Amino acid sequence: MKTIQFDQLDETLYYEKLDNGLDVYILPKKGFSKTFVTFTTKYGSIDRSFVPLGETEAVTVPDGIAHFLEHKMFEKEDGDVFQKFSENGASANAFTSFTRTAYLFSATDHLYESTKTLLDFVQQPYFTEQTVEKEKGIIGQEITMYDDQPDWRLYFGTIENMFHEHPVKTDIAGTIESIDDITAEHLYTCYNTFYHPSNMLLFVIGAVEPEKMMDYIRADQASKTFEEQASIERIEVSEPTDVAVQNRTLEMDVLKPKVYVGLKAKETSLSGREMLKHELSIQLALDVIFGRSSDFYTKVYEAGMIDESYAYDFSLEKGFGFALIGSDTNQTDELVEAIQDVMQKTQEKWPFGLDELERVKRRKIGFYLRALNSIEFIANQFTRYKFNDMNLFDAVPVIEELTVADVQQAFASLQGESQQTVFKVVPIANKAKTVTVQEGQE
Amino acid sequence: MFQTIQVAKGVNIHTRTTDQFKTVNFSVKFKRPLTVEDAAERTVLTNVMQHSNARYPSSAALRMYLDDLYGTVLYLDTTKRGDEHTVLLNIETVNDQYLKTGEVLGKVLELMNTVLFDPNFDNGVFRESIVTREKEMVIERIQSVFDDKSRYAQQQLLNIMRPNHPASISANGKIKDVEKVTPASLVKTYEKMLAEDLIDIYVVGDIDEKEMVDSLKKALPFADRAVDHAVHPTVESKPTETYVSEQQDMKQGKLHIGYHTPVTFTHKDFPKMQIFNGVFGGYPHAKLFMNVREKESMAYYCSSSYSSQYGLVFVISGIDANKEEKAIALIDEQLASIQQGEITDLELTQTKAMLTNQLKEALDSARGQIEIYDQYKELPTAFSVEKMAVKWQAVTKEDIVEMAKKVEKETVYFLSGKEDAPE
Repeated sequence: MKTIQFDQLDETLYYEKLDNGLDVYILPKKGFSKTFVTFTTKYGSIDRSFVPLGETEAVTVPDGIAHFLEHKMFEKEDGDVFQKFSENGASANAFTSFTRTAYLFSATDHLYESTKTLLDFVQQPYFTEQTVEKEKGIIGQEITMYDDQPDWRLYFGTIENMFHEHPVKTDIAGTIESIDDITAEHLYTCYNTFYHPSNMLLFVIGAVEPEKMMDYIRADQASKTFEEQASIERIEVSEPTDVAVQNRTLEMDVLKPKVYVGLKAKETSLSGREMLKHELSIQLALDVIFGRSSDFYTKVYEAGMIDESYAYDFSLEKGFGFALIGSDTNQTDELVEAIQDVMQKTQEKWPFGLDELERVKRRKIGFYLRALNSIEFIANQFTRYKFNDMNLFDAVPVIEELTVADVQQAFASLQGESQQTVFKVVPIANKAKTVTVQEGQE
Repeated sequence: MFQTIQVAKGVNIHTRTTDQFKTVNFSVKFKRPLTVEDAAERTVLTNVMQHSNARYPSSAALRMYLDDLYGTVLYLDTTKRGDEHTVLLNIETVNDQYLKTGEVLGKVLELMNTVLFDPNFDNGVFRESIVTREKEMVIERIQSVFDDKSRYAQQQLLNIMRPNHPASISANGKIKDVEKVTPASLVKTYEKMLAEDLIDIYVVGDIDEKEMVDSLKKALPFADRAVDHAVHPTVESKPTETYVSEQQDMKQGKLHIGYHTPVTFTHKDFPKMQIFNGVFGGYPHAKLFMNVREKESMAYYCSSSYSSQYGLVFVISGIDANKEEKAIALIDEQLASIQQGEITDLELTQTKAMLTNQLKEALDSARGQIEIYDQYKELPTAFSVEKMAVKWQAVTKEDIVEMAKKVEKETVYFLSGKEDAPE
């Protein structure tokens, strides 16, 4: 077991790669009474085409299968896994993102029993045609629930606009139609390919004794057998830089229109410290240009173009990335124009220097220090960073190093006009149809 | 858990020294009886005070200063509990020891004083342009409930079950009252708040208690105030309907059911009622989740919640719009089964373990410590997790049956798609 010290942060991280390939990280936090454990596979909704374990031909599986698999992991021959967690007073959950599926629990007692429950249920699949069929009703209602959420539709509509081929454009849960095609055999194929310990990471944080916990996990994993696994072969798509659709509008039963401007990222091939530097640079640039102390914000606030829902965000993973800026607004076109105008100006003349950068750097450092109070944030983000060969605890030193030139160069990845898209959710005007493509290029 | 010092009549400082967090959290709570008109005034006031002040007269100037203070988080908001309305000022700032440079904490205390005592006045009243704009912001926040169908359905259920009652009054107030707010009326509201409200000031972090109390006394010089706020006459409010359905253009059906219980937060049976709710629908092992979701696959979510301040229980579920009757019958069956004593030892053990865990976990965040202490300090006996756990452990099946029998279904509200809905 290795230890990694972060002196300025007053944290010590314990790490070991087990014989079966599983990465285990343990971070004790003083003063906490709970422990939070996440068990994550590098497998998400975008992994739809791949060569299954032990085969030679690539397959494409139905959309929404990673999420479906996540649901089905909880049901076993002897019942529902939630029951076992509850018995030990542990709150369990799971989530599926574009690139990850995570199983987790938090507990203030019976830590080892619940850790055992977590390891066992994720490492012992049990799927039958009957249980798969039963789940379709539940997930169908989950999909329908999201369908009625205007903010979710706005988010996914914007992403869908941006991508031609990349599977990030399909909803994480799939559709009622796509999940109908899912079989138990599909689930086993995906499980066997992506749930090998060498594709997974276990993170334990909070009230925990690192040596004892590491011994416990090591012994548990040594007692289980896993097939040797070659590296996973994912089929990658080629995705152009420009957006697929420039402008779309969706009518829903809402009072106030909503709009996002999406900026598709050009640079999506980085990993490790370079990626961390790039990602933080773009976030800092967005803070200066679109943050609450920016000229842009003052202008659109005073003109009544935004309300408290105003937000901007940048997401980056290997193979795709995008920034989103938007708000609920009765002046959708004016707001879009203001955002596009600011983007245009950043190309004509770079809008800020060292003073502004230093200010948002301080803000960002404060953000990371605050976030380090949250053991959930640390576990989830550490895993995401690690899957991209980055280290969460490098964020503060990397921020301190960044220069105006770094930030300017990174931001160029978002600046092309052909990388911009607009998606609106508006109140229903004409009940005949819900989606109208306005200036689509498809 | 907290050290409490009364610094003026009706003004208390509660401090908690801990090295658990890398930040210091402050919460200043101004409390007075909840009325619908006041709620609107006070909500606009929080928005205006959060926007700017005399020293940082624009929003951008204030935000830049907060950025400089390592992204110190500062916001004002309104909340309610029971028949009490609270204006809160929350601040979270980085502990100086984690910074290479900095004397942040002292500046934050100074800023707290500026925000509360040095408002952005123009000729003795709040600046009109800011008031106008922030009124719009509040109105838009109130309206946005309509676009979130779950929140809308719950608000509708409350309006039907407890009209003109604190249970259904939003802490943000009503649009028509927000529209009436003027710069002059806000000044009155502001002055009343500073002079008359009961005030609790919380600090959690790696602090020197004595030094902190001295600094806070200087930064927040509140005067004595009357502590015996006139007690509200209990508002009698009954459901206007037992069943209401409403149509919108949407795909899912949102089923919200409201129940009454005589057991409230200060009632001796409160812990028993918490266990009842856990067995009924509070957790993934509960009857509602296991039967409506897992057994019948009718829903993605089906759960109950216990609003102990108002003696209400709610069941919510998202279902296929055509399965409303079946869902209601299934939910009724789960309550009936508890009333008939169909409770396993396992369900009881699980629920007790989950409640204990949940409370301990909530205390692992500074905000959780503040909020739970602020609520539980109203109970006659001093609060601790251990004491609560002992009370939960003592709860028997018979107790739960007794609680279930007192739970009375009052109103069913169902929101779903129109016949001619698109798709």
